[in-house]
Amino acid sequence: MSGSKRSARAFADRRGMAALLLSPAGIVILAVMIVPIVVMIFTAFTNFNQRSLFTGAYDMVGFDQFEAVLTNPEFWASFVRTILFTAALVLGSVLIGVGVSHLLTRIGGVLRTIVTVVLIFAWAMPNVAASLVWNWLFQPGYGVFNWLLTQIGIFGDMTDTDWSADPALAFIAIWMLIVWQAVPFIALTVYAAETQVSPEYIEAARLDGASDSRVYRSVTLPFLRPTIMLVTILSTIWNFNIFNQIWLVSHGGPNGATATLGVFTYITAFVSFDIGGGSAIAVITTVLLAVVTSFYIRSLVRSGEDL
Amino acid sequence: MNQRAKTKPVSTSVPRSRRLKKINWGSSVIAIVFCVIWFFPTYWMLKTAFTPRADALSTTPSFLPVNFTFDNFVTAVTQSGFFLNLRNSAIVVLAAVLVAIVVGMLAAAALSRFRFRGRRTILVVILILQMIPPTALLIPQFLVFNATGMLGNYIGLILAYVALTLPFAIWVMRGFFLALPAELEEAAQLDGASSWQVLTRILFPLVLPGVIATSVFTFITAWNDYLVAYTFMRDQTMYTLPVWLASFSSPVTGTDISGQMAGSVLFSLPVVVFFILLQRKLVSGMSAGAVKG
Repeated sequence: MSGSKRSARAFADRRGMAALLLSPAGIVILAVMIVPIVVMIFTAFTNFNQRSLFTGAYDMVGFDQFEAVLTNPEFWASFVRTILFTAALVLGSVLIGVGVSHLLTRIGGVLRTIVTVVLIFAWAMPNVAASLVWNWLFQPGYGVFNWLLTQIGIFGDMTDTDWSADPALAFIAIWMLIVWQAVPFIALTVYAAETQVSPEYIEAARLDGASDSRVYRSVTLPFLRPTIMLVTILSTIWNFNIFNQIWLVSHGGPNGATATLGVFTYITAFVSFDIGGGSAIAVITTVLLAVVTSFYIRSLVRSGEDL
Repeated sequence: MNQRAKTKPVSTSVPRSRRLKKINWGSSVIAIVFCVIWFFPTYWMLKTAFTPRADALSTTPSFLPVNFTFDNFVTAVTQSGFFLNLRNSAIVVLAAVLVAIVVGMLAAAALSRFRFRGRRTILVVILILQMIPPTALLIPQFLVFNATGMLGNYIGLILAYVALTLPFAIWVMRGFFLALPAELEEAAQLDGASSWQVLTRILFPLVLPGVIATSVFTFITAWNDYLVAYTFMRDQTMYTLPVWLASFSSPVTGTDISGQMAGSVLFSLPVVVFFILLQRKLVSGMSAGAVKG
């Protein structure tokens, strides 16, 4: 039954129906997301602070908050840090993930099941629990990782190394934690695509004398490109927003040295209670992320998603 | 040339599928090393959870369990607040999942089975809302809930979790609706069924497995949340389990690492079970709609 055959009244009915079905979600989204977003933008133009929470009093300050944020060297340090850290995380997890996916195609069924189960365990652990496990692995004095490194001996005695007290070490530990949990999703998603590569192409390339690595680069990788693109964009968005792991491992410290934009926003708004300033940072972060999201939407449309 | 000489006889004698699945020993060794490294943190958590506290805090770690015990689990659950905070988690998470799924399912039906103006815009808005940094949305939610007296109680946290999960739930369930053939609806309409009957009698039952999968995704996202609960719930009796777990180290005796690992195991258990049950759907579901990381 096509639209033209349908009577005008039935069509109006269906439109009313669609509106009816959408309205509960619309009301909820309006109340818990759209209104808060408007409030966030509004607050970014005020000097809302801890006192305002009790008294409700605040002043409009125009673009002062944005000016303060954009001239704050701490903000720019956090901005650069976020981009570098996100890049390191995305690069690490996508490279390892794609490698593991390929590994899965080259091993026997039993071993493949074992690797899959191992991946699911790392993936499934809630990141709060994983962060606590990490603190334990890297604990000064008793951490098994410190012990292992000391045994290897390259870095000297690391038994009492406090990873969260040194910016570089804290980032390394958090990087490992996030990559550990990010690789499974990427590996399994890419593997699902890799099993769809037509065997005829691979065989044809082999018959032409291509080596394994040549087949992978010239046949498999081009086929996987859309999937790798998608997981790269998703990883970028997720890693940009990382909060729990950094907060629970280093609290953004020492001295704010591991505070990415998410942590910096949180500290500004909920530790210093400069809520106006925090809102300004939040607005800036949201706009930055919207740019990345637009790439995600474009890539979804390209991969055939019917919007 | 050498390569070709090696490959050609094989391709004629061995069936294609077999040859492609040829086991590569180098890869197997790498895979085993990978498994050891990747499973080690989970193993260490389990090992510590079953080791008495005194043995866990040893300067020379033992890689096999010593003095295997369940005591740490007893310590964890009898720790002040475990059952209370578990109850808080259960109430808040289940209520949020219920709202997000019911409201989301209706919206997903509208956005997949009906064509109307503005549909594309709504879908893009949903995707954008889905990607908003959680720390950004937290500030205005805090202000709004503070002003309306919903900070520190269930209602505020439930609403925050609905915000966290609803866009994703709509997006994923829409995918399940789209997978149903259009002929189903048309046949029912020819038989005189109203739009509402088509939805409730035909589409909803068929999409049920997808709805269950989405409920589980939603459950996991809300269950794992630490940021919102940590910010909204200042009173210990209102903590949810993630906040309880992270604040485990506060008692007078210092950090009871074995107890904390036992608590981590208990907290992770339902999520791990769900992941194993839903492994395949997770891969497609997450890449289609994305969960907040």
